[in-house]
Amino acid sequence: MKPIAKRLFRSRTYNEQKALWGFMYVLPWLLGFLFFFLIPLLYSLQYSLSEIEANANGMTIKFIGFENFKEALTVNTSFNRILTESVIDMVVNVPLIVIFSLFLAVLLNQKFVGRGIARSIFFLPVILASGVIANLEAESLVQAINEQNATGGVFTTGTMELMTIMLNSGMNEDIVMYLMDAVERIYQIVSQSGVQILIFLAGIQTISPQLYEASKIEGATGYEAFWKITFPMVSPLILVNVIYTIIDSFSRNDMTTLIRETGFTSFNFGLSSAMAWIYFLVIMIILLISTYIISKRVFYQE
Amino acid sequence: MVVKMMAAFRTPKRLNRSFAVSFILFAFLAVFGAFMALPLLYAVNNAFKPLDELFIFPPRFFVNNPTLDNFYDLIALMGNSWVPLSRYIANTLLITLIGTAGHILLASAAAYPLAKYNFLGSKALFSIVVLSLMFSGHVTAIPNYMVMSWLGWINSHASIIVPSLAFPLGLFLMKQFIEQLPTALLEAAKIDGASEYRIYWSIVMPNVKPAWLTLMILQFPALWGTDGGSFIYSENLKTLHYALGQITLGGIARAGVGAAVALILMVVPISLFIISQSSVIQTMATSGMKD
Repeated sequence: MKPIAKRLFRSRTYNEQKALWGFMYVLPWLLGFLFFFLIPLLYSLQYSLSEIEANANGMTIKFIGFENFKEALTVNTSFNRILTESVIDMVVNVPLIVIFSLFLAVLLNQKFVGRGIARSIFFLPVILASGVIANLEAESLVQAINEQNATGGVFTTGTMELMTIMLNSGMNEDIVMYLMDAVERIYQIVSQSGVQILIFLAGIQTISPQLYEASKIEGATGYEAFWKITFPMVSPLILVNVIYTIIDSFSRNDMTTLIRETGFTSFNFGLSSAMAWIYFLVIMIILLISTYIISKRVFYQE
Repeated sequence: MVVKMMAAFRTPKRLNRSFAVSFILFAFLAVFGAFMALPLLYAVNNAFKPLDELFIFPPRFFVNNPTLDNFYDLIALMGNSWVPLSRYIANTLLITLIGTAGHILLASAAAYPLAKYNFLGSKALFSIVVLSLMFSGHVTAIPNYMVMSWLGWINSHASIIVPSLAFPLGLFLMKQFIEQLPTALLEAAKIDGASEYRIYWSIVMPNVKPAWLTLMILQFPALWGTDGGSFIYSENLKTLHYALGQITLGGIARAGVGAAVALILMVVPISLFIISQSSVIQTMATSGMKD
């Protein structure tokens, strides 16, 4: 409604002026985006449709149509399985992570002693996983310990023992496996929610305190305040978090590993690009569906 | 049950919160928090373990005889290096500071018109941004290198800094936040005669301070942890993370030094996080908006 009203009441040149201003502000960012994200993306589309050979003159690119896509879907032994697994994993994990992080963000927004420390603790996995530690651990200490300790590190030892005890006490193997899976998933979800908690926290903090004051005067309970104020006000960020969670999962899922190995270990770059594009299309479809569902409920002020 | 707990917690005054509810919530946070804090505690303890304790079997969690030997060894090793340590630190600081500050400025400047104005192609542009986020980074590695070499930026800091400025996630995050600002606020500023630049800098940015502090917390550790990737070859342009990483490559004998390195590299992003979190709290005390 708003843009129509504006067009009626304001002169055309002002609109053009505004468009120009808008474009000027976007331009620096747009240039960077074009060079470092869009152009490489288009190149990779070209690669996915070609056979690539590295030789003395650099690279030769031969167009072969959809051969790479066919190979990924019909010839490659692990692609289909890993694709389904990582998509199912994503569909299960993403809603859980988003709900859990919203819940924690609301908790961590309360005033209590040690709030700063609590927030930092939940953000730790992000720093630990950001590559600062990861490469170092892989090289020296943890590796050495893991080699000595066949059960595999300090932290998994506990659950492994628990599993053996439960199995020995005559519990059904399926139930034990299910429980172990759940425990592992909980840990996964908690450790992957750091950034999402932070985004929700920032969202909650931009809500004007007057809204809560007014609702309190009108006699709203805390429960109502959450569902009528906090939740609608942070709803635009649910989409951000869904998208962030999906991107974040790239850094550690099997699909990315397969794509990387095909590209850089067996040097089949065309096939690797084709795999990436199939994966990309599948994610895009999931995302379009979830965006459609979410955007129906998202609330924007005004 | 959970929702009720949340509701009880939500009330701004302590009047309604029973002791039991507080206790349950505290226990909940403590259990999950302990989970998250374990790896850090382990890393801190390792850094102060003498060599014999590092390889004890089964591994112990806490250090028995804390020592600073690992740090002395690290200093001794760095003293022998061909490029002085200060050079690596300067490189990392340059990349991290320019990359983070520039990213926040560019992303928010681009997000403001995308969120608040309709102009030709703004919707399409935003969709492309979101879609490009969905693409796995490994595949674009080779095209990325080709673009860099075409620009002549191979083996320069620009190859790390400039792409990080245009990272799409920042734009996306800032746009979602700026969209939530009431348009009436911006119109009021406009009527009072503020220029677009003024509105962006004095109205939009202060009001979304939690958002760009979050962006800073996201971008900083990523750049801090960069080792130059495949773009930087000269030793004198490499980053601190790379230099310290090399030291730990000495194998088992360098395990103690490796633990010290891990601790040093972790301390900076964690302190930044704690500082920025406290300033988020300060902003919110002063920036209540009057509708």
